Amino acid sequence: MSPTPPYVELHCHSTYSFLDGVSLPEELARRAGELGHAALALTDHNSVSGSMELAQVAEDYGVRAIHGAEIDVITGPAEDGGGHGRDAGPGAGEGHGEIRHITLLALDEWGWRNLSRIITHAHAHTRDGPGRREQAAPAVDLARVIEHAQGLVCLTGCAARSAVGGGVHDERSARRLLVAFGPENLYVELQRPYARHDRARNRALAALGRRLGLRCVATGDVHAHDRSRAELQDAFVALRNHATLDASEPLRRGNHSHVMSAPQAMASRFADHPEAVRETLLLAERLTFDLRRDLGYRYPGAEDERASGRLSELCGARLAERYGSAGAAHDEARARLQEELRVIEALGLPGFFLLHHDMLELAREVALEVRGPASVRALLAPGRGRGSSVSSLVCYLTGLSHIDPIAAELALGRFLHEDLHGLPDIDLDFPRDIRERLIPRVHERYGQDRAALVAAFPTFRARGAIRELGKVLGLPAGEIERVARGAERYGEHEIAAGLGAGGPDAEEGAGRGEPSIRWRWLARLVEQAYGLPRHLSQHPGGMIVATRPLIDCCPVVPAAMEGRQMVQWDKDSCADAGFLKIDLLGLGMLSAVERCVEEIARVRGERIDLSRIPFDDPETFRAIRAADTVGVFQIESRAQMQSLLRTRPRSLEDLTIQVAIVRPGPIQGGAINPYIERRRRLREDPAYEIPYEHPALEPVLRETLGTIIFQDQVMQVAEAFAGFSAGEADGLRRAMSRKRSQEMLARHRERFIEGAQRHVGAAERTAQRVWTMVEGFAGFGFPKAHSAAFGLLAYQSTWLRVHYGAEFLCALLNEQPMGFYAPDSLVHEAETRSPPARVRMLGLDVNASQVQCTVEQEGVRLGLGYIKDMASAEAQALVAERIRNGPFADLSDLAARAGVRRLTLEQLAWSGACDSLIGGLDRRSALWQLGLAAPALSIGGDPQVPASQDTQLALALELPAAPSLRPLSRWQRLIADYSTSGVTIGDHALAILRSRLVVPMLATSAQLARLPTGGEVAVAGLVIARQRPGTANGTMFLLFEDEFGTINLIVPKAVYESHRQLARAEPLLLARGRLERSQERTLEQARRAREGRGEEAGSEEQIRPVINVLVRELAPLERFVAGGIDDEHRTAAANVSRLPAATRSAAAELEADGVEGAEVGPSMRAVAPPVQSFAAGRRR
Amino acid sequence: MPAPVLTRTLNPPRPARVRWGEGLPVEVDGEGVESLRESWLVEDRWWTAEPLRRRYWELVGERGRNLVVFHDLISGRWFLQGP
Repeated sequence: MSPTPPYVELHCHSTYSFLDGVSLPEELARRAGELGHAALALTDHNSVSGSMELAQVAEDYGVRAIHGAEIDVITGPAEDGGGHGRDAGPGAGEGHGEIRHITLLALDEWGWRNLSRIITHAHAHTRDGPGRREQAAPAVDLARVIEHAQGLVCLTGCAARSAVGGGVHDERSARRLLVAFGPENLYVELQRPYARHDRARNRALAALGRRLGLRCVATGDVHAHDRSRAELQDAFVALRNHATLDASEPLRRGNHSHVMSAPQAMASRFADHPEAVRETLLLAERLTFDLRRDLGYRYPGAEDERASGRLSELCGARLAERYGSAGAAHDEARARLQEELRVIEALGLPGFFLLHHDMLELAREVALEVRGPASVRALLAPGRGRGSSVSSLVCYLTGLSHIDPIAAELALGRFLHEDLHGLPDIDLDFPRDIRERLIPRVHERYGQDRAALVAAFPTFRARGAIRELGKVLGLPAGEIERVARGAERYGEHEIAAGLGAGGPDAEEGAGRGEPSIRWRWLARLVEQAYGLPRHLSQHPGGMIVATRPLIDCCPVVPAAMEGRQMVQWDKDSCADAGFLKIDLLGLGMLSAVERCVEEIARVRGERIDLSRIPFDDPETFRAIRAADTVGVFQIESRAQMQSLLRTRPRSLEDLTIQVAIVRPGPIQGGAINPYIERRRRLREDPAYEIPYEHPALEPVLRETLGTIIFQDQVMQVAEAFAGFSAGEADGLRRAMSRKRSQEMLARHRERFIEGAQRHVGAAERTAQRVWTMVEGFAGFGFPKAHSAAFGLLAYQSTWLRVHYGAEFLCALLNEQPMGFYAPDSLVHEAETRSPPARVRMLGLDVNASQVQCTVEQEGVRLGLGYIKDMASAEAQALVAERIRNGPFADLSDLAARAGVRRLTLEQLAWSGACDSLIGGLDRRSALWQLGLAAPALSIGGDPQVPASQDTQLALALELPAAPSLRPLSRWQRLIADYSTSGVTIGDHALAILRSRLVVPMLATSAQLARLPTGGEVAVAGLVIARQRPGTANGTMFLLFEDEFGTINLIVPKAVYESHRQLARAEPLLLARGRLERSQERTLEQARRAREGRGEEAGSEEQIRPVINVLVRELAPLERFVAGGIDDEHRTAAANVSRLPAATRSAAAELEADGVEGAEVGPSMRAVAPPVQSFAAGRRR
Repeated sequence: MPAPVLTRTLNPPRPARVRWGEGLPVEVDGEGVESLRESWLVEDRWWTAEPLRRRYWELVGERGRNLVVFHDLISGRWFLQGP
């Protein structure tokens, strides 16, 4: 090792300074190690979000982590009274006092505690504005800092730059700091950013130090780990200041001296102040606080001595209830319980399990309040465990999990093992409404200062980065938007390609230098920014509880929602800190099944207890095997449906595997195809032997036929095959599930391959292959226990779909947004099922629709809530008026009584909801007549919220008949439906167009099954899903819908690239290509296989093949419609997509403007229902 | 793209002959350097067709004048800034 490096960096920003730092803590640590630094302090602005990350990785790079932060302090007269200023003030911008920066570094645990408190104070009023949306800049009074000086070292802060607040350089404030910190712990901070007045300033600061008797210390104010990121920092400065690069010159540093330098180079940079360089070493030696050591965190119940006894009492009592008092099951359960209790006791966790039990009891109370005692929902448990907790018998007995781990053969390993570090996670799923109420209750129960949410850090995505950085570069807004829309949501390697293809370079040519330079920079900056944390946000449901105020462990800041607060750490940092994290997650499907059960009770008077339905219902499994699963939990997606046809599940155990299989882990680990193939071989030949890579794998991979599908199998393989201990295996799982641990993974690999040779005598090549399976899996998969919980919900939802189709559809429509399909697709699928499963859908009707969708005698009635731009208060007012004073007699009666705005009335008429009032006339006439009707006028109050008492009722005058207006064409009605409610009922777009499609070899979804494999085919459809998963090497999957069903299309990379814009945005498409069928087995083979098993002919249900169209060419459908998409449109000469001004998006206006007398195709583009798109949820 | 601003640059930098010594200029256009006042670095406008990379020196010449010279790190040439 070289001699001690001459300099330690004590001032460094990471991306957690949000837009004032461009490198992740790990990148900084790695680079510091490469440059020969011995230690590194992370000092982000008012934040320690990156500290735990640095603490975890620094040692791997030979660097010691030092912890601190750069704090915005308010100096000046405001705080003279002693700290009341901020608390009384309305936010950070108090008006008096200047904002200055100081650098605080933690000497010891006291220092960390005080740092956390100071940062908490700095953020306390950042969300005081209305709606908590506007975020004020954090800042804290100097007095607060002075109160919390113990254990901290204070550096006077950064070099002043023009227009940017610098450090505390005035003598008066410096003296106040001196009183608090003392000459030992206050240092004058010297920086040399190579700006014009550096030397003069540093001479003055050194003089200040001499006057006050303080030492000087040199710092580098690092903002980037490497020269290659330097420009991004300039761009971030502009972005932070909502300016362009051209306009933000005074705000940025003007050079790239903020890049980390080698210790020797830093020493030379401060050649004028060698004492300040030496001081970095001396100071660093004093800063010994190690974040990995005890933070002093305890969870409630951790120190309860009676906890152990209470837990075993609780479990013992329940054990008898569940397993009886004797018998094999009882004995097995008893033995397992004792083992689990022993491990729990040894780990000191009894209090932890009691805490969770407590939490669930709290949830039960909340559920009772939310649901009401009489509701059938009361039969349902308030929440259910997901994740690995489900594998524990103790959790089953305490009610945390609803899966019997003994019957389901769940291994405990991941959840609890004896060399467990930190606490196991417990994840609880709740219906959305219960979760909303539960979170504030947890705050109440454990104390506002002892409970907080976990943070999350949304990262730069391609689109956002293109928009923001494009603006910073001063590129034209229209062009940026076009490029941004074309950018992939998935995979950073696509960005440059996207910019290259979509950017205006191609058109403008490289000849015009300046613009093309800027576009090239955009590509480069976007690629660098991609994946960096953008801001602090809240985790969907993770909560931390503690026995002492959390602000002693980590700063707590207000979250965007009223009454919620969060720690500055994300889930990984919280886990590293040993915090007890409870995930309270809202699960849309749980809400939907509850709604469904309620609707069944309302409509049929049946009370259904979903925990007591038959779990081997043949009809349900038949539906699953036929992939009739649209709308159900998890197994409804395009990929899942195709997989169901091949795996053909027959039991809950099969479903457990099924929900886990379409995940990046099993896909990348290469598990899917072998699993499907082996399942098929086993079906045909029960004597088929599974080819295991090694006999030692058989016990752990038997149920998944030799493949790795569950996350726990990774650990089991490591133990059984490579001789890992349970703790080591858990370490491997953690290393795989995080981004920050490449080095760690490499070490595990070595250990694995060596271990496999030693432990089971595997050949090195075999060990390599098994490692490839393990590594490919990479942690992006479900633990088995989680899959079991999800599989159960998948089954329950399918069971509801099969037996209560109308109620289930209704529940789904009311719980949107959720699941894979848009409401329009759900409706079409239900309408096209073969009877008796078919569900009839009833359109909007002011005299029949409730606010929400409801099940009627005839079918499911769409609710008024689906009408766009109708305020929910308006829908409620309309329904209430109808209930109070009877149905609306005609349009003028509706206008007079409904108490809704004119715009809403028009929207109602245009949606078809008034059809029943106009006796056979059509929407156009209704709209005309409504134009003459006088709606009730709101007198005062908010026009958005009609309150009946504020409303002056209008006289219901008889309306004159409408002149003879041309009725809407079928196409126009479709567009009107989409523009008002987003759902069309009855006529499918393709049904309207079909007879006029002039395309050779055009097949419908219903005809595909009868066409020969490998043949040429053309298909047309409405695009309802487009996906380009990162695991598919650029292939895009499209799902078309026509009037008979859906069609799966595979768009190979080359075809996708030549049809990018079409594939990504066009709602109605024509595709040509080859028909593929993956179920090779012919009927003859099936018959022979059946006979081989001695079954009777016909006992095997008909096997639906997997059919795909391998696309060669895509085209917009409107090009192939004889007479144009709307043949009646030319004569009608009306622009239906704009009536009645319903579509408001700029794009729609733009397109609609040019439409007079032209195609209506563009209007479809504006109103087409949203589309499922991978990793991005639904969007249009 | 920002529109070109129609202004006339005052005191445009003009080429200078600089003799380099131990880590700083020791002679500018024949005038010896007495002392160093400041030195700074400009790396900017990298996103344009005319990026700047300059190392500036503010010096006191033998004749008591303030001399601001910069080394253009792209072209490698020296310039004298100011009157």
